Amino acid sequence: MEVSHSIKERTIAENSLVILLQGLHGQVTTVDLRDESTATGRITNVDAFMNVRLAEVTFTDRQGTVSHLDELFVTGRNVRYVHIPDEVDIRATIERQLQAIHRVRFFRGRDKGRKEFPRAKHK
Amino acid sequence: MSFLKRFPPPAEGVRHQQPDTEAVLAGRGLGAGTLYIAESRLSWLDNSGLGFSLDYPTISLHAVSRDLNAYPWEHLYVMVNAKFEDDAKEAPMAEGEEEEDDSDDDIEPIAEFRFVPSDKSALEAMFSAMCECQALHPDPEDEDSDNDYEGEEYDVEAHELGQGDIPSFYTYEEGLSHLTAEGQATLERLEGMLAQSVSSQYNMAGVRTEDSVREFEDGMEVDIAPAVAGQFEDAEVDH
Repeated sequence: MEVSHSIKERTIAENSLVILLQGLHGQVTTVDLRDESTATGRITNVDAFMNVRLAEVTFTDRQGTVSHLDELFVTGRNVRYVHIPDEVDIRATIERQLQAIHRVRFFRGRDKGRKEFPRAKHK
Repeated sequence: MSFLKRFPPPAEGVRHQQPDTEAVLAGRGLGAGTLYIAESRLSWLDNSGLGFSLDYPTISLHAVSRDLNAYPWEHLYVMVNAKFEDDAKEAPMAEGEEEEDDSDDDIEPIAEFRFVPSDKSALEAMFSAMCECQALHPDPEDEDSDNDYEGEEYDVEAHELGQGDIPSFYTYEEGLSHLTAEGQATLERLEGMLAQSVSSQYNMAGVRTEDSVREFEDGMEVDIAPAVAGQFEDAEVDH
């Protein structure tokens, strides 16, 4: 599972449940949008801002009209729910994503890991 | 269309430009023009120089539609969180018909644009260019996720092992910027291998420096999966 090349995005992912969505690449999922429309398709990318890119999408708009879209990009702001498929093992998916991030980060070994940002500000 | 204005096409950061593209708003064609997918905004200008721009934060979603049952031409669909004046809508009001669309709009306004290029094969590139530009405009009002990280970057693992000072000084950082092209290539190769590697029982004998890389380039198969953290601790960095 490809990990973002951006340190900032990796850190954001590691500290939020976006990391779970990133583990769903390739899975057919339904995304409910803020305006009550829904999109069901195969996840091809989720970034740290929860922007979701889907392929082979069945899109139902808020009036209920169904159409098919080859590819769809929804901004994170407009995502209300993501339906995690039942067969997905949530914990294992998160752990796998974390491992992928850590492999990139600790490549150089002790004391020579990539720099990452310290903990988020506490409000 | 009263929202159309005259302005020069964007000159900078244009990720994709698609001429001979019709713009359609809520089912009404605006004519042929050129679509500019720039990093700062999405712009469309008709052949007389009139057009409009859309800011990425207002774009809820975009998509490639090839479903001819839904719409008779393949196009780039863009949903915008804003109201655009449409001259056609004033006519129904004159007939005494209320604009029902607005009655349930305590929710947000939505405008649907379709960009129909004469070259259908360009849709993929148009879609991807828009994805890239959208990613440049993360939601500034996102209060849920605490994406502020303060201080300087630091070595996470060293900190967790209680060894790091924040901020810390590492020759690693300097060394990284002094890597030769060969060193850089080695670094990239090792990164790639590490990302694929499975925990292995084999340890690299000796230190992995540039010199030892050359030793193995005679075609020998060596299992070089670095399984132990700290393996390369004493690797030469400054060359």
